[in-house]
Amino acid sequence: MPNYTSKILGNSVSALTAQQALIANTSNNIANVNTPGYTRREIALLNRVDATSIHSNFTFGSGVEVGTIRRITSSFLESAVRDAASRQGMANIANDYLGRIESMFSLTGPQQTIGSTLNDFFSAVNTVAVNPSSIDDRLVLLQRGEDLVNAIQTTYNTIARTQTELDYQVPQEIAQINEYTKQIASLNDLIQRRKGSNIPAIDEEDQRNALLAKLAEKITYSSYEMENGMMNVSLANGFPLVAGTTSRSLDYTYTPSFGGATLPPSLEGRTLGYIVYNFGSEGSPSHLDLTKTIKGGMGSLGGILQLRGYADATNTSAFEADGELVAIATRIEALTRSLLTEVNEAYLGPDEDTATAGLQSSAGDLAGNPPDVFGLFDFDYSGVKDSDGDGVPSAADLLASGMSHFSSYLRFAVTDPQRFAAARDNDTTEGAVAFPSGDGQNAAAIGALKQEVRTFTSAGFSLTGTFDELYSSTVNFVGATKSKAETDVAVAKAAQVSAQSKRDELSAVSLDEEFANLIKYQKAFQASARIIKTASEILDQLVALI
Amino acid sequence: MTRISETQFTRSLIEHTANNKARVDKYSEQVATGIKAALPSDSTDAGVIARYKQQLDRIDGYMTTISRVKSYVQFQDDALNQMDELILRAKEIASQGANESLTPSARAFLAEEVFQIRDQVVGLGNSSYQGRFVYGGADDDDAPFDATVYDEPATGPASVKYEFDAELGTSQLRPVHITDDITVNINTPGADVFGTTIEALERLGRSLGGYATEPASGAPDGSGAAYTFPTDYTKQTADIKYTIDLLNRARDEDILPERTMLGGKMRRLETAEALLNLSKTSAQEVLSKIQNADETESVANLTQAQTALQASYSVTAKALRLTIMDYI
Repeated sequence: MPNYTSKILGNSVSALTAQQALIANTSNNIANVNTPGYTRREIALLNRVDATSIHSNFTFGSGVEVGTIRRITSSFLESAVRDAASRQGMANIANDYLGRIESMFSLTGPQQTIGSTLNDFFSAVNTVAVNPSSIDDRLVLLQRGEDLVNAIQTTYNTIARTQTELDYQVPQEIAQINEYTKQIASLNDLIQRRKGSNIPAIDEEDQRNALLAKLAEKITYSSYEMENGMMNVSLANGFPLVAGTTSRSLDYTYTPSFGGATLPPSLEGRTLGYIVYNFGSEGSPSHLDLTKTIKGGMGSLGGILQLRGYADATNTSAFEADGELVAIATRIEALTRSLLTEVNEAYLGPDEDTATAGLQSSAGDLAGNPPDVFGLFDFDYSGVKDSDGDGVPSAADLLASGMSHFSSYLRFAVTDPQRFAAARDNDTTEGAVAFPSGDGQNAAAIGALKQEVRTFTSAGFSLTGTFDELYSSTVNFVGATKSKAETDVAVAKAAQVSAQSKRDELSAVSLDEEFANLIKYQKAFQASARIIKTASEILDQLVALI
Repeated sequence: MTRISETQFTRSLIEHTANNKARVDKYSEQVATGIKAALPSDSTDAGVIARYKQQLDRIDGYMTTISRVKSYVQFQDDALNQMDELILRAKEIASQGANESLTPSARAFLAEEVFQIRDQVVGLGNSSYQGRFVYGGADDDDAPFDATVYDEPATGPASVKYEFDAELGTSQLRPVHITDDITVNINTPGADVFGTTIEALERLGRSLGGYATEPASGAPDGSGAAYTFPTDYTKQTADIKYTIDLLNRARDEDILPERTMLGGKMRRLETAEALLNLSKTSAQEVLSKIQNADETESVANLTQAQTALQASYSVTAKALRLTIMDYI
């Protein structure tokens, strides 16, 4: 007679074990309900095959067996989450930093912007033109000149400083990226070995997934899982960051092997670093420039680089680099250069004595002295400013100084109210000058410059218009850039919420579900226990027959 | 069937609440400040706003200039107003003095008042506004009328000869921009306004006082001897009569046209001011439309956002309390 009792007991014991395993898995899922990136797990149960048939005509089965444990995940949804995180990382950087810049171009309030100080300055010049001998009006003009210079310096320096700060952030980001890729490579190793021995590597895969998500917040990459379970990670240009069990560390350098003796200056006059991979040794590096590739992608590092800008190693000017910060700074620098050249030149007036070489100023201050070459707006520079000695402040003179930018070094040259040259020469004889104290012709000529159309240039930037138009176009540019960043943040956020939501819909833990399962498993456990009791009673009755 | 996980559920509740809170924040700021475009990114018209603000600043600058120029022109008009009365009085004295029934000594009595009038006119010509000589042209730190002397007499008011300063710049006109396109000359050289009057008064005073002024017509050169009576009595009468012509000429050719011109300047200034006010108003209107928040709209939006926020608080509080554990 076939031994049904042992069959019953065997089946029930297997069920007790299986239900316990299921409850254990549920408890793990519940424990990780708030763990970020945790993927819920499911245990696959298998009905055990009846190897030794008790009855020739049919089989009962041999109970239940705990099969594999499985992560409920979709690589498509996971990569959508990573893409969204990447996009958000980039958008946040642009939005945060541009917000700081934008406040320098405020449309309201008491804050002195370049626009308001420019107006105040020209108004003060016009007032002096009306009443040239008034010391009070001249003092106001001096203050307004200082204000304008301060506004330009503060705005430019804030932008330039921001570029430097962004540049300083790059090595920190790279250090983290290197750490992540290193960990991914070592997890690859573990996963490969476990899979080779047919052991599931669920926790390792979860950890690797979390690392990939973190990496996506930093940069854009493409990943590919090989058959042995290892994940390869590479940049958009195909450069591998993780290949199987090895990772490649990125470097940040200010002395790239592909650069010449002098690298282009940054907005602050320093240099911008390059993200490289060193194929050579530490002593004799051979750098591969990856900056542009990473800048082309998203993630916080992509965002940092896009905002900071990329300077080609062969550039000569800080303003040839790309990026929004450089574009804004270029406009301000164009204004500065116009003040230093054209406005200063107008301040000197027409050539008083054409017979003598060089420009002889026909403007004069209250004491009748002509102004210096950079007499109204000056810059801090210890060398010879009028390098060609022609008495005219020109773009060539600025270039000859070799300075990378002038906005930070701009100075209002008039410090003594008497010294402002409001008058023009009243003596028509060449070589002889006379400046009546109440003459405001020179001041009036400066005042009229505000409405004059001119061409503002600086590196690749050129705008033909008035000072007002240059400023308002800059405000427009800043507004549009910031507004785009805000839209990007909103879009990225929406994309991130939607991707995360889709991912969580599939992979995150639902307490309702787990509790329902818990009850289901508990009931099954109770039922199996009850069957053991029944089998025991059957045995008892059989024994009683003896 | 959609599966809703715990994190998904709480996240969406938090997101909605945060979004509603952000909206309340945005609209309450709009209501509090009355401005919807405070930063360039708040409006696609940021550049336009900046342009209008600059235009308004420029208008304000011109308005200040105009008010200063107006008070300057008013000052000159007041000075000329006094001139009218002084010339009238001088003419009365001249007519009286020209009467041949008067003896030379009776005429000499009249001279004193004439010189007082002359000094007053010179005072007006040398008047200063905020410490600067109004009629000095560009050379406004120097009194335009300087005192020199006649050959005769050696002392007394008749010996003083006032001359317009011939330095460079004294005859210069000072143009001032009162709008982008309109300029106004804010001054007239002193010689054009007071020159003839001073000359007439000096000639009159000297004649009445008994001294000839040479040449008999044209600018005096500083010479002129005492009349010999009775021989020169007729010449004295003729000289006095000549000054009446001169005074009439000064009034008709210098003072009246100058006053008319000042009136014209004042009207131009007022027209310019009115035009600037108009463009200021229209610029402010446009600016207000694009930069200021519509109060009704902002308040309505705020109320709506507040209601939504309250709703999300209430929903969040209720939904988060729900758990299957209470039912098992």
